[in-house]
Amino acid sequence: MNYKINNMKRSIKFTALMGIALLSVLSCKKSYLDQKPLGVLSADVLANEQGVQSLLVGAYSLLDGYGGNSGGTRSPASNWVIGSMAAGDAYKGSSPSDGAADVQPIQVFNLTPSNTAASAKYLLMYDAVQRCNDVLRTLALAKDISADKTKQIMAEARFLRGFYYFELKKIYNKVPYIDETVTDFNQPNDKDIWPNIEADFKFAADNLPAVQIDRGRANSWAAMAYLAKAYLYQKKYTDAKPLFTNLIANGVTAGGQKYALIPFQQNFSPQATQKNGAESIFAAQASVNDGSVASNGNRPDNLNFPYNGGPGGCCGYFPPSQTIANSFKTDANGLPLFDSFNTGNDVSDPAKPYTGTLDPRIDLTMARPNIPYLDWGTPSPAWVRDPTNGRFLPRKNVYSLSEKGVNTSTESGYWGATSITSNNVNLLRFGDLLLMAAEVEMEAGSPELALDYVNRVRTRAADPTGWVYKGSTYDATKSKYNVQTTPADNYLIKPYPTGSFADKAYALKAIHFERKIELAEEGHRYFDLARWDNGTGSMANEINAFLLYDVKVNSTLSGGRFVKGTHEHMPIPQSQIDLSASQGNGVLKQNPGY
Amino acid sequence: MLHYLLIKKLKIGITLLLLFCAGVAWAQSNVKGTVTGSDDKLPVIGASVKIKGTSVGVVTDLNGGFTLSAKPADVLVVTYIGYQPYEVAVSSQTNLNIILTKTSTALSEVVVTGYTSQRKQDITGSVAVVNVTSLKSVPSGSTESLLQGQAAGVSVVNSGNPGGGSQINIRGISTISNSSPLVLIDGVPGNLHDINVNDIESMQVLKDAGSASIYGVRGSNGVVIVTTKKGKKGKVNITYDGYYGTQVPLADGFKLAGTQTYMEAIFQMQKNSGINPSSQQFGTGTFTIPDYILPAGAKEGAPNTDPSTYNLNSNQIMRANKVGTDWFHEIFKTAPIQSHNITASGGAEKSNFLFSLNYFDQQGTLINTYLKRYSLRANSDLKIGHVRIGENAYAFFKDNPIVGNQNEGNAIAYSYREPGIIPVYDIMGNFAGSKAPGLGNSQNPVANQMRSKDNQGYNWQMNGNAFAEVDFAKYFVARTSIGGNVDNYYYYYFSPTAYENAEGNTSPNSFTEVSGFRYSRTWTNTLTFNRKFDKHDVKVLVGTENIKNYARGQFGTRGNYTLSTDPDYVNLNTGSPSTATNGVQQLYSNTLNSYFARVDYTFNDKYLLSGTLRRDGSSFFAPDKRWGTFPSVTAGWRISKESFLKNVTWIDDLKLRGGYGVLGSLSGVSNQANNAFSLFAASPSNSYYDIKGTGNSTVLGTYKSQLGNLSTTWESDGIANLGFDATLFNNKLDVSFEVYKKSITGLLFRQNNLAASGGAAAPYVNGGNIENRGIDFSTTYHGSVNNDFKFDIGLNLSTYSNKVVSLPSGLKYQDFNSSGSTRIGSFVRLQQGQPVGAFFGYKVAGLFRDAADVSSSPTQSAAAPGRFKYEDVNGDGVITDADRTFFGNPNPKFTGGFNLNASYKQFDFNAFLYGSYGNKVINYVKYWTNFPQVFGGNVSADIISNSWSPTNLDAKIPKLETSANFSNTGVFNSFYMEDGSYLRLKSLTLGYTVPANRLKKYGINKIRVYVLATNLFTITKYSGLDPELQNSNLNDNTSFGIDFGNYPANQKNYNIGVNVTF
Repeated sequence: MNYKINNMKRSIKFTALMGIALLSVLSCKKSYLDQKPLGVLSADVLANEQGVQSLLVGAYSLLDGYGGNSGGTRSPASNWVIGSMAAGDAYKGSSPSDGAADVQPIQVFNLTPSNTAASAKYLLMYDAVQRCNDVLRTLALAKDISADKTKQIMAEARFLRGFYYFELKKIYNKVPYIDETVTDFNQPNDKDIWPNIEADFKFAADNLPAVQIDRGRANSWAAMAYLAKAYLYQKKYTDAKPLFTNLIANGVTAGGQKYALIPFQQNFSPQATQKNGAESIFAAQASVNDGSVASNGNRPDNLNFPYNGGPGGCCGYFPPSQTIANSFKTDANGLPLFDSFNTGNDVSDPAKPYTGTLDPRIDLTMARPNIPYLDWGTPSPAWVRDPTNGRFLPRKNVYSLSEKGVNTSTESGYWGATSITSNNVNLLRFGDLLLMAAEVEMEAGSPELALDYVNRVRTRAADPTGWVYKGSTYDATKSKYNVQTTPADNYLIKPYPTGSFADKAYALKAIHFERKIELAEEGHRYFDLARWDNGTGSMANEINAFLLYDVKVNSTLSGGRFVKGTHEHMPIPQSQIDLSASQGNGVLKQNPGY
Repeated sequence: MLHYLLIKKLKIGITLLLLFCAGVAWAQSNVKGTVTGSDDKLPVIGASVKIKGTSVGVVTDLNGGFTLSAKPADVLVVTYIGYQPYEVAVSSQTNLNIILTKTSTALSEVVVTGYTSQRKQDITGSVAVVNVTSLKSVPSGSTESLLQGQAAGVSVVNSGNPGGGSQINIRGISTISNSSPLVLIDGVPGNLHDINVNDIESMQVLKDAGSASIYGVRGSNGVVIVTTKKGKKGKVNITYDGYYGTQVPLADGFKLAGTQTYMEAIFQMQKNSGINPSSQQFGTGTFTIPDYILPAGAKEGAPNTDPSTYNLNSNQIMRANKVGTDWFHEIFKTAPIQSHNITASGGAEKSNFLFSLNYFDQQGTLINTYLKRYSLRANSDLKIGHVRIGENAYAFFKDNPIVGNQNEGNAIAYSYREPGIIPVYDIMGNFAGSKAPGLGNSQNPVANQMRSKDNQGYNWQMNGNAFAEVDFAKYFVARTSIGGNVDNYYYYYFSPTAYENAEGNTSPNSFTEVSGFRYSRTWTNTLTFNRKFDKHDVKVLVGTENIKNYARGQFGTRGNYTLSTDPDYVNLNTGSPSTATNGVQQLYSNTLNSYFARVDYTFNDKYLLSGTLRRDGSSFFAPDKRWGTFPSVTAGWRISKESFLKNVTWIDDLKLRGGYGVLGSLSGVSNQANNAFSLFAASPSNSYYDIKGTGNSTVLGTYKSQLGNLSTTWESDGIANLGFDATLFNNKLDVSFEVYKKSITGLLFRQNNLAASGGAAAPYVNGGNIENRGIDFSTTYHGSVNNDFKFDIGLNLSTYSNKVVSLPSGLKYQDFNSSGSTRIGSFVRLQQGQPVGAFFGYKVAGLFRDAADVSSSPTQSAAAPGRFKYEDVNGDGVITDADRTFFGNPNPKFTGGFNLNASYKQFDFNAFLYGSYGNKVINYVKYWTNFPQVFGGNVSADIISNSWSPTNLDAKIPKLETSANFSNTGVFNSFYMEDGSYLRLKSLTLGYTVPANRLKKYGINKIRVYVLATNLFTITKYSGLDPELQNSNLNDNTSFGIDFGNYPANQKNYNIGVNVTF
């Protein structure tokens, strides 16, 4: 009996306890379900100077083409896919099936609007645009930033936005314009966005300092250079001319150096002491071994290295074409063969090699068999991945052996660490600017000035201290060969003779050709061809000639055909058109021909 | 101390029991006997043995024995719960050996369902009771894999990867993300993966909303209820279960070319492309197999082939394997499997305990893959008056290095990619590989696996709960349980410089170490009211539940280990400091708060009505979208109890049942815990930038990482279920048949934002509906030829059709990539009207026969004889994007399991077959092996004879050629699709139980020995290794049925095993 009572007491106690437990759960605090986000920030944390500056750095960080939406090898800062490969500067490379679904169709213009290599840049550039917009939006909320600072941050963000839209404009032509005030992102692509781009560059040019605290930032001169470039693209030569004149006379880099041509090779050096030099107007900064798992080097170019034991070790993409190699042939006067470079023997053809003279820049642009390749010796045949890759290997993005592990990544955890370098991507260098200025002068100024600008570029190339030499060691810290006795090939380059630009057609041809070889493999050619085309079909002719000529080296070019009136621009991504349609009115329209 | 007390109590209990038994058996005797169970061959303790028509009887003792006095004319009736009554005439027998047959339809058997238990006959929802004995008929370390074929409506896809997961879908594809069901082990959310199968007492699968909606938001993928064993009243029982076996790799492998055929394919490819054939290995113009592949193409005696000139980095020397290396069998080897399990259990009046220990060791047939697991369980209950307290605790430690399955970059894939001319080792015993130029870019799979041998993956977990229960006020039971999971994982791997490969042969080595922990905590409180009066039976349950999940984890990496790469030396300190990186491996915290109620009402044992209601609040959503309510109602009608069926003797029991309810799911947002908010983040790879131009450092940058959506809420899943259960022909036949419709609405779908909105991760929104309709059917026939020969035949069949009803507003379709490979784009498109996972691409009409065929066909880019001719689906005369179409459904038309159990005297036999019919699969391996231009890797053995040529117009394989284009390898098309139907003998067991009387003197109650073989045959038309194909990512249900070189699940396995009970 006693036992029972005890038991009952116990169970009553127990029930009471459980009742309390139940009640405590029922009255469970509302905050129990308010779990704070971990490891991320809310918008209000960033509404101050430091926060806005960090957003601005975030907006810069997509310049390198990596990170963000679709960032990677198909959305490179260097524009190697569309800017160079699609214009005949190079082949896709690698194994034929590698990239067969996306990059190869661009090479041969068998291009559908669903092509993901064609759309990657679109996706990434809008990501970048919105990062700029986020800077502007958050800037408006911050209370602790001085008026001057505000203006400068705004100018930097708008410069970047202008830059990103410029990329979109030149690749896709008609694109929707979204600024920081837009909340409905389903905007039509029926307007020309040049005025918007100009407005951003103008604002930036007016409000940025000439010298920046950091060399990677845009300064007022960079903004002016891009404004001038935007005018050139629109053929607003008279607007462009004074800007170019001013830039050439007075422009300085963000670091405060007066614009100048530096030894050619130094433009492609990953060394901190050489990059961001006097020629660098604006560049995508690359860094390695910075704790980012090899994400801040020129990662989108990481496939564009020789194969199997060579620099990078992978993957044989982007080998220079036979046509571009032949373009470096020079005549007895040291001048290019505008129309006949593909006649006669091919450069480096093992069976019937071309033995004439060459522009020395050829061996600073590409690696050729039996020619010293920085300090890598002569290229091994095993470094050419596939017979369809032709004879040449990339060079402008390649580091020297002595820099391996210092200016290349050693960061583990990424398969291609050795093909990540701190080599900046030159978005706009002074050599490029001089040639643009030459075009402007030819169109709306003086042929003498144009000739002078072109010859400044050629004179630099003619400087034998910058050439490639046989039987010599290479000094990467100076970007030159130590012993300069035996040039690697039969180099001959001369300036254009005085008065030769009196013939405008000849002069333009010369300027255009100079851009082709000076800027080869740097991602400009496709856009140059497109703006020079003017409905004449010159672009189609040029690229189809390349496809027809080079197919004998690279059988994968077979069947390629550039269609005039269509392929001057990439298609608006089908996914975006479909999405636009699904969000109601379907305001995005495809480019003609796709 | 606790143990001591328990044992003491147990001793007292056993003594009491013995006294009791002795007391009953005092009567004078002339008939003796023993009673054993047909199922486990163990003595039946406490069975009642009565003389028919009298009240005279005894109860069997601890050895199943009894003695009583009876006349020869008497008939003894032996009964025991769970067994069929057995009658035997005494006649002249004095020593009876009585075997009781397990009751076929334990209608009164109580099964655990949502928070309560029910008699099987009262269940109105869709509950599949898994036969735990059949479950154990396949040896495996992953318990979820054993569910395959065991219950209608439960689809399981396994692989041969030891410790690898399984893809489980209950009643079709119910979500595009993780479809794993909620698993409750003793009421606590847990994981089937590592539970010791020997600990399982019972397992139920709740398939419909009626049974599962009490689990609300977590019930959408179905619920698996596992109850672990408890000690039973009686003497201490010790059992040992063990087996040892060997697993044999598949004999055929990928059916690849030898060196000669490989060389011919490369030759043919170039010749067909109009190129003078040339290869760094085989020569120019005409091809011959060289003696060495490094130096490339060298003959005996050539420069740099002298072993004295050997240098691993500058002059590695590799001989050609002129026959061809059989890479598949270089990496797949015969491997042992073993399991040893000891369980001790017992109980007394007021307490019981169970203690089990298991060691499981499965070496994978893929070298250096394995699962070793040590586990321990301790379950105990204690009764103090009206209060019961107890605990279930399970802890295990496992060593299971992670091997990614279904990826074109793992060792299995390299075994079909690496050309056979490459030997495993070079002349000095170092690895050979594609560094020998001109032989593609694949990796030496043996090297990859051998190098992983020092990698480790450890994990220790504890899960279980402690509970207390009290009866009060006659009809009430209150219960509280606190339980959860603590999971600690730790692994590291070293990636040496793969000097032998074409790519990265100079890349620095690296070492990565990862660790982290997760915990989940569940606190459940319930109050039950149960009352029977007159013909009414009412049961009411109310409860609350409170769950928190939390995880943190980190990784660190270093590289450039130059002094030594000895695993004893390599750690995060000894690598080069400049290569140090670290980061977050895992970080989350989320909570769930719930209230639920359930009412079961039965009238006259005939009319059943049940309703549940759950309200869940989740931290995943914005405050005003946080709460969801999930109701269900079910009803049943036991027609067999109606008077008009009383006289239908062949119907023992017939119940119609049906119900409707709503479940929820948030598995879609589980990776975006703070879906409601727009957030910013800082990421070294994504937003830091070297704005100072230093070349080796960056400045902090931030970016918008996520767009929030305040209106996102639960995915909800309405299920209507209608079916019947019948027991027929004197309990010989059980049939269960159900039809269901499962409508998933508000599918959690990552919004597809326009690129113009930026790169921040789009929020998940509720858009999209999926519908599954299906039939689950299961039947069991219990037969006996005579008392010695009995058999059970079980069959379950499931069929479903799955359809995307709609997508988020206006979205026409969404394409999903598979993580296995994206080389030829996505394989599937999610689109209204199509099943989830439907293959989408160009439909191959055949190969272009000749130039005339090309010119008379629709315009197609890169069209040429011997290449794919695509169907002009829209009939516009041009093959474009718009001609892509849906050409195959990976969802099976039906799947089924067939179980045959038979016993003859002391022998028992089990055969288990599983099949899948009507599912299409993609054999992506063909992309590599049927196209020599694809990275120059190895090719299929039949490539020369079966590829197109002007003299082989009806070829299966396209023309061999160098270019890769739209009309051959450039796009995904139906060439890769095959029929994935198969029927497999999953297991075959033959056992023998030593007669009990022979063992008694050794103090052993039972010994059963058995031999078991798995996968003795698979009938299929599929040309790959195995048509049972797991997803590349088990958490992603968007694409499935794609073969990237799956770790095959159909390897033969021969085991011997023994069960001993003391």
